[in-house]
Amino acid sequence: MQRLIWILMLLSMPAFAELKEFKLVLKDHLFYPARMEVPSGEKIRLLVHNLDGDPEEFDSFDLNREKVLFPGRINVIYVGPLAPGEYFFFGEFAPDTARGTLVAVPFAEQRL
Amino acid sequence: MRYLTWALLLLSASSWADGMVVDKVYHPYVLPYERELEWRLVSRQTDEGNVLAQRFGVGGAISETLSLEVYGVGERDDEGDFGLAAYEAELRWQMVEQGRYWADFGALFEIEKQHKEDNYEITSGLLFEKEFGITSLTVNAFLVYEWGSDIDSEWESEFRAQYRYRLRSAFQPALELYSGEDFVGVGPGFIGLHRYDGQHQLKWEAGFISEVGHGGKDHSFRLALEFEF
Repeated sequence: MQRLIWILMLLSMPAFAELKEFKLVLKDHLFYPARMEVPSGEKIRLLVHNLDGDPEEFDSFDLNREKVLFPGRINVIYVGPLAPGEYFFFGEFAPDTARGTLVAVPFAEQRL
Repeated sequence: MRYLTWALLLLSASSWADGMVVDKVYHPYVLPYERELEWRLVSRQTDEGNVLAQRFGVGGAISETLSLEVYGVGERDDEGDFGLAAYEAELRWQMVEQGRYWADFGALFEIEKQHKEDNYEITSGLLFEKEFGITSLTVNAFLVYEWGSDIDSEWESEFRAQYRYRLRSAFQPALELYSGEDFVGVGPGFIGLHRYDGQHQLKWEAGFISEVGHGGKDHSFRLALEFEF
């Protein structure tokens, strides 16, 4: 029984300690880089630094995420695990310019 | 771990709520800066007749993780007159960052007062959502206490679940389940989003829920429109 409790505790612990981090910058209502490779099959931390003076809203139906990007702040978005493929995202306040794509690829295919 | 324990405790509790169980399945997320106008309709058809309830709400985020919404609830009475039946205030709390843990959790607290009557109801509950690839499971478990001058004080519980296939933003089919006292209903649900400019968007939800625990007619149609700005 004690072993079962330990297993449940371990499973419900946050798994962010080992998560890979990927950085995006929002500047002048543009995401940099606009296209970025990330590993498929594992959860990642997306760090989005909003260098604009206004808030923006990161929106992606593909990634199932909506998140306010506060100005001057590094905003953390937890993504995945993703199946291999392309995932579009955009900024709700500047949808014509603030656009980008995450490309999820298996580890072996990743360009390091 | 304590979230998991709470979820298991709530899910394993027996459901003994009465009234209209079919309503909305809440997601455990709050978006800062978001404000919304909401309209909900539930029409329940049984062998005895039709019950119609509508709800008009206005609200929005009051912090990064809290949102507050107030409602006016209208119901059609036995004579067919439609009028204001109750007022309600609802606080939703996003407890964890989306995607950070094994599942996402939130909480909901609600207080309702019946119009012209000294009857009250408070609700607290757990909101749970878990992604499975391109599908999402959302579960609500509520504990309700009602009291007042014209009703017997009692505890109730309600359980709602929605399993959604994120097909396209504009159209997401789902399977919904609702349970309360003498009511277990299942049926299809449909969710969609139409985006205007900026933060302006219209979310719509519809569901056709059939009671499966008893014989006889008992169907509910629900519709919800949320305009976010």
